[in-house]
Amino acid sequence: MSKSIEAMWKQGFVSEGELSAPKVNDLYNRKSQNIVDKLQNMFAVNIKAIVIGALIMLLVMSLIGAPWLGLYISVLLAPLVIIAKKELTKSHNLSKGQSSLEYLESFDAWLKASIDTYSNYYRFFYPLFYIGMVTQGLVSDAGTKVMVVLLKYYPTEYVFLAIPGYIWVVITLLFLLIVRYSEALYRLDLDIIYGRQFKKLDELITDMRALKSGR
Amino acid sequence: MGSDFYQQSILPYAVIIIKICRAYTHSQEDFEDYYQEVCLQIWRSRDNFNAESKWSTWIYKVALNVCLTHLKQRKRGEQQFVSDALPDEVHDDAKAFGSDDINLLYNAIKHLSEIDRAVILLYLEEKSYAEIGEIIGANTNSIGVRITRIKERLNKFIKAQE
Repeated sequence: MSKSIEAMWKQGFVSEGELSAPKVNDLYNRKSQNIVDKLQNMFAVNIKAIVIGALIMLLVMSLIGAPWLGLYISVLLAPLVIIAKKELTKSHNLSKGQSSLEYLESFDAWLKASIDTYSNYYRFFYPLFYIGMVTQGLVSDAGTKVMVVLLKYYPTEYVFLAIPGYIWVVITLLFLLIVRYSEALYRLDLDIIYGRQFKKLDELITDMRALKSGR
Repeated sequence: MGSDFYQQSILPYAVIIIKICRAYTHSQEDFEDYYQEVCLQIWRSRDNFNAESKWSTWIYKVALNVCLTHLKQRKRGEQQFVSDALPDEVHDDAKAFGSDDINLLYNAIKHLSEIDRAVILLYLEEKSYAEIGEIIGANTNSIGVRITRIKERLNKFIKAQE
């Protein structure tokens, strides 16, 4: 090798006029691909989707004779709208003009705090959603007919509210499973979608902290 | 983004953005995508600019931060951080420079980790250790050691390619 890398760099860019900037087209309307912006877009879309979804649920459930379930689900989804709005506001405070380490750390902190907030919400949402669905199923005409058939073919002396004891056991076990794994379910979902990026982010921060500490 | 802002505040510093984006991309299409993303983020974050530091330093920060967290939709439909794949695994058609030496050097730089790329680019741009520390958020004392290590790796790679 005849040249140093410094010389290669300097001589290679002697005429910086040769470096032509690409055309910038319609930047104002450009859809950002930065992960922060992507998540911001997701939060914004989520808010709209939740509101629309809740209204559709209310309408559909009313049409099939379960207006209270529709209302119940809408009420369950309301905190999600509030959470998403708050997280969106927080994310807008992240500045990209910080040092790389500060930026990545603030981004990581925001991301982790957001995930924790959503996890807390889903820990309650899944079990409560399940309770609503089960209750509606049990009090519906179809549900009542199923219970009658079950009691006919699988009679038991343990019956509560016209529901066989073994159905209560199944319902309770499923409820406990949902309570136990609702947060894990949310995090698994997150990991499938964003696991690779999160891992990469951790690696970047670890590398930068090593550089900061002088290692 | 106003055309005036681009002409007056970004275009004079386009060379900085080009040099950084080239180090984090493997194709012309990716490069143009990243370049536009950096411009967009400079414009969006312009109110956060602290007048105590230089505008050019701020552009380095935004460009690096964008490149470190930019997502690229690859053909197989997977989303990932930029330059996630090793250069050996992707086709590099970004031989954009007239000089063979620069193309060789960039190829070597792309074999480094994301952070090492940032460090060496700033070093080659003749930034002081203090400035590199400020832009990246690193300890000034550790920069010198890291640069020595990076240069050794680059020289080794270049020698193997010659």
